Amino acid sequence: MTDEIKVLLIDDDPDFTQPMAFWLKSKGYLVTEVHSGEEGIAKVKESVPDIIFLDLNMPVMDGIETLKRIRKINGNVPVIVISAYVEKANTRDVEDYKISGVFYKGEDFQKGLSLLEAALRTHRKLKK
Amino acid sequence: MLELWWILPAVAVASIVVALLVKVVISVPKARAGIDLQQPDLEGEPVIDEKKVDDRLQEVVFEEIGGFVDSNYKRKEMAKAVSNLVDRELDERIKLHTERLREEYENEISQKSLNEEIALKKYNKVLVEKKNTEAVIKSIADGLVVVDAEGKVIMMNPAAEKLLGSSKKEKSGKPINEGLKEEQMLTLAKKADEKGHREIELSSSQNETKKIIRSSSAVIENENGETVGMVSVLSDITKQKELDRLKANFITNVTHELRTPLIAIDKSIALLLTKDPGPLLPAQEQFLDIAKRNISRLSNLINDLLDISKLESGKIDLQLKEVSLSDLADEVIKSFETWAGTKSIIIRREFAKSLPKVQADPERIIQVFNNLVGNAIKFTPNQGRILVRLESSDSELTASIEDNGPGIPKEDIDKIFGKFYQSSLLHPTDTVGTGLGLPISKEIIDLHGGRIWVESELNQGTKFKFVLPLKK
Repeated sequence: MTDEIKVLLIDDDPDFTQPMAFWLKSKGYLVTEVHSGEEGIAKVKESVPDIIFLDLNMPVMDGIETLKRIRKINGNVPVIVISAYVEKANTRDVEDYKISGVFYKGEDFQKGLSLLEAALRTHRKLKK
Repeated sequence: MLELWWILPAVAVASIVVALLVKVVISVPKARAGIDLQQPDLEGEPVIDEKKVDDRLQEVVFEEIGGFVDSNYKRKEMAKAVSNLVDRELDERIKLHTERLREEYENEISQKSLNEEIALKKYNKVLVEKKNTEAVIKSIADGLVVVDAEGKVIMMNPAAEKLLGSSKKEKSGKPINEGLKEEQMLTLAKKADEKGHREIELSSSQNETKKIIRSSSAVIENENGETVGMVSVLSDITKQKELDRLKANFITNVTHELRTPLIAIDKSIALLLTKDPGPLLPAQEQFLDIAKRNISRLSNLINDLLDISKLESGKIDLQLKEVSLSDLADEVIKSFETWAGTKSIIIRREFAKSLPKVQADPERIIQVFNNLVGNAIKFTPNQGRILVRLESSDSELTASIEDNGPGIPKEDIDKIFGKFYQSSLLHPTDTVGTGLGLPISKEIIDLHGGRIWVESELNQGTKFKFVLPLKK
């Protein structure tokens, strides 16, 4: 099962990550859920995933700070930002740190899946 | 008896002469002819030289009776007698006349002093009233500033002095904004609203707090309708603004907080409905569908609430682009065609050719079209017609969305752009909206510098129209 794609889900709300993780798992991905920025960074240090879903709005360490630190560890891993609100101002701040897309929580999981697939495709092409 | 022989002719003559002379002399005060008979004394009153009058009278009578009397002596005596008679008569009449004049004069004088007295009373009354008015103006809590046509301050009450942080002495005769430092006046006179209210933001130098003042101004016109100045009422609305801000923040926070659990519910139900977690019985699926549909209604309401609170507090920045209104309208109409189809409603387009592009936020304009076309479909009965028309003039683009639905009752026309208005004509089985679509649309169009309104009559259908200004 070495072909399984590793997804890291960083969001403080388990009520959101559980169904999302379930959905991704049902699509054949290997999902790890963590519920804080610190845990997420620790996971990345441990082993870099294939793709990260990162919530912007988290207590203690917010998404932007988490992203900055992840980029110090790894500059290439594709990151899709998760946001509860369609607010462009929020994402502008993170665009400097190379993000592969924004997934709004209100949208269907299917949309998140398409974003994930597109990001992975682009990433693979760049790798080659 | 013999000595009285002359009496008869004399009386005849005398009466002629008297009539003649009375005519001449009596009119002395009025006629210029008598001027040589009077000399003004020191007080300016006319004085008649009696001797002169007597002599002349005698001469005249003497001449006049020449034809009747041949004896010179008799003629002389007669003249004397007649002139005495006339003289007496004259005196009498002058006396009478003088008396009358005096009376008239006295009347005039007393009338005049009476008028003067009334005037004085009136003046005093006005003075008291003026002082009262001044006291009222001084003690009202709102600031009051009166400026003349050149914008110079002519009146300012203590409340206004306090609000503007300057005294009447400093301001008197000077333009109102003189002396207000630039950093002090953060925003002077943002666009006045329809009622002539403006908001002025001041930061006071003493306590470094920001003050927001609302100024309501009215032009002062004189009787001829000329502008002579302007009166402004200033009220400190800092607290009110602060409350508005707190309210907006509260709504924003609450809706944000509401959204998080809602998303979790929505996602969980959506997941169950994919049947990935396991198969569903038909009844389970049916109830989950109901739950999902209502969750999305709740989400829409929360999104709308968030939108209106942001729009109202001015927290939304338009992402202006050159957009084609017809492309946006087309996109919205296409997205509604399925829904319209279920009610057999035909949406017709009537777009003018070569419409100019307009500076607008496409997402927001789509939101307006969504609200207006969505409303039209909602209210139009099955087999109804909806017409979306776009046209342009030199200065603006006009969009109208017309339906042949039930129309809007007259008493509701003014209310429909208010928050949470729901038409009484909405059929109970219809999808209930949030009641925020129209106020949101109005805020969006206002933000673009345009106008939105409705034309409707009961049973005559409804026509919503909005215009967007074209850049010159």
